[in-house]
Amino acid sequence: MENSIGLSSPKRARRLPAEFNIFLVLIAISLTFEALGWIFQGQSFLANTQRLSIVILQVSVIGILAIGVTQVIISGGIDLSSGSVVGATAMISMSLAQVATARAVYPGLTDLPVIVPVLAGLAVGLVCGVINGALVAYARIPSFIATLGMMVTARGFAKWYTKGQPISFPTDSFAWLGAGLAPVWIFLVVAFIMHILLRYTRYGKFTYAIGANAHAARVTGINVERHLVKVYAVAGVLSALAGIVVAARGLTAQAGMGMSYELDAIAMAVIGGVSLSGGRGSVAGTMIGMVIFGIIISGFTFLRLDAYYQEMIKGLIIVAAVMADVYRQQKRKAHR
Amino acid sequence: MKKQILAALAGYSMMASVASAETIGVSMALFDDNFLTVLRNGMIKHSEDQKDVLVQVEDAQNDVGKQLSQIQNFIASGVDAIVVNAVDTDATVAMSKAAEEAGIPLVYVNRQPVNVEELPKDQAFVASDEKESGTLQTQEVCRLLKAQGLKEARVLVMIGELSNQAARVRTQDIKDVIATPECSFMNIVEEQTANFIRTQGADLMTNWLSAGVQFDAVIANNDEMAIGAIQSLKAAGRAMDTVVVAGIDGTQDAMAAMAAGELDATVFQNADGQGRGAIDTALKLARKEAVEQRVYVPFELVTPANLTQYQAKN
Repeated sequence: MENSIGLSSPKRARRLPAEFNIFLVLIAISLTFEALGWIFQGQSFLANTQRLSIVILQVSVIGILAIGVTQVIISGGIDLSSGSVVGATAMISMSLAQVATARAVYPGLTDLPVIVPVLAGLAVGLVCGVINGALVAYARIPSFIATLGMMVTARGFAKWYTKGQPISFPTDSFAWLGAGLAPVWIFLVVAFIMHILLRYTRYGKFTYAIGANAHAARVTGINVERHLVKVYAVAGVLSALAGIVVAARGLTAQAGMGMSYELDAIAMAVIGGVSLSGGRGSVAGTMIGMVIFGIIISGFTFLRLDAYYQEMIKGLIIVAAVMADVYRQQKRKAHR
Repeated sequence: MKKQILAALAGYSMMASVASAETIGVSMALFDDNFLTVLRNGMIKHSEDQKDVLVQVEDAQNDVGKQLSQIQNFIASGVDAIVVNAVDTDATVAMSKAAEEAGIPLVYVNRQPVNVEELPKDQAFVASDEKESGTLQTQEVCRLLKAQGLKEARVLVMIGELSNQAARVRTQDIKDVIATPECSFMNIVEEQTANFIRTQGADLMTNWLSAGVQFDAVIANNDEMAIGAIQSLKAAGRAMDTVVVAGIDGTQDAMAAMAAGELDATVFQNADGQGRGAIDTALKLARKEAVEQRVYVPFELVTPANLTQYQAKN
């Protein structure tokens, strides 16, 4: 997994993968819940297939975002707009996915084939992503600000679209995209494709190169601007996909959907070893970060921990997991 | 990004001079909320139905500071009355004071201000009494469980956002009803928050099911969480006639779930009625007419028996 360390350090290629330590953290957290489960609940936390599926299912939508955000962060930027793009996409795609019996947004456009709402939704994400990328690459606006603008605008659009009214009653074929474990499969397909893309293709090499050192990347002949637009466009499309899945899963679209998902997505990526300064990280790491999130949410309910304590402890675990990673980095540098 | 909706009178605005129109400034806590949208549309519709009433609605985006500056802007622009749907019900003292000093009537709608006991005389509160909602809901669950002949009933409680007053009151209502002798056979086995959100309700229910929690009823602080619970129960293959599920709000989706035999009870909060009541009260105050300082629009229990009456509402 040499690319997770970045192009700048080929010498470290033979060491343990960068994700190894955070994987140990995941194991430690899982075993902690397992032990607490036997002590307080008298049953196993992990040996329960229903629980293992909900652990992944409840974070797979944010996981799709997190993978898009991962490659943006690797390229040296940040994407704050993903949660709002989820809201905007959910509204648009659901409005084209309603059955005739619903109080439809477009009474003339009901019972359409599922491809229509899906493509419309993905197009929204693509447009948002390209705008983000163009603002960052060509207008030279810091990604934090450019995507913050998109975050506010896309959320405003989602509210304006139906004047705040939720949209419900999708067709069966649309609902199928979010039914049962479908979100998990969609997530796994996305993760697989993005893993290949980042690790084995020019797209990935350019992304790591730009994140590690944009100037050097330019000198080696990479068209940095054009590539950054692509990176943000991919992130936008993945946010849109998450929006479609979350709407199909809840059988409803609401303007507030995806609120603060972008922060969870960034947290998952960072826990998974993606460096906010760019050039380092991987899809596999982000997936581990995502599973840690899922384990924490399910574990708390399993232990019947009072709701008031859950968020406080969740915050502490995020910081502790990243601290463990930072400590590992420093130790590694000292050994060099 | 200040969002403004100017609900002008399309038809007769040309004839009537705007100077003689009464203007009401409305600050809503947030726009992207189903219930508050129905309430907001109720206000707009009701003002359009009257001659020479102009409503200016602003979105406070759940930000206390933004709401306060909106009210100050309304005062500065000399509106005849202000309607506030408070972001934070503890932050209303400053709003009351600002309006009182400017001599402009103020009406709080839907969310009960902390200073409801000592409102200045040209201010009022229009809402439904939250104590009714959870009480009606839990009493119906109690009745249904009793009809099943259960000697002991296990209840799951899904709480809304923990910082929200309605979530707190509705949860307390559940406990108060269970404390009465006729419903004391009910026991709360689990209570957990799902933040009023459907997918979180679904995830919470799946987590409970996988932890092996046994139960006879689910009482949720709103319909969205109840629908989420239903989705997970169905996915897990639980027969919906073996569990009583109750929500609050009476949304369109909830009505559909009830028609499908999945939701057993919800409580209809008359959003449209609250919106109209707020406009009426504000106009009366602006015209120096006498008003009740607390106007309560009653909650109404919705069950499969009376479902058809409510399907067209909200």
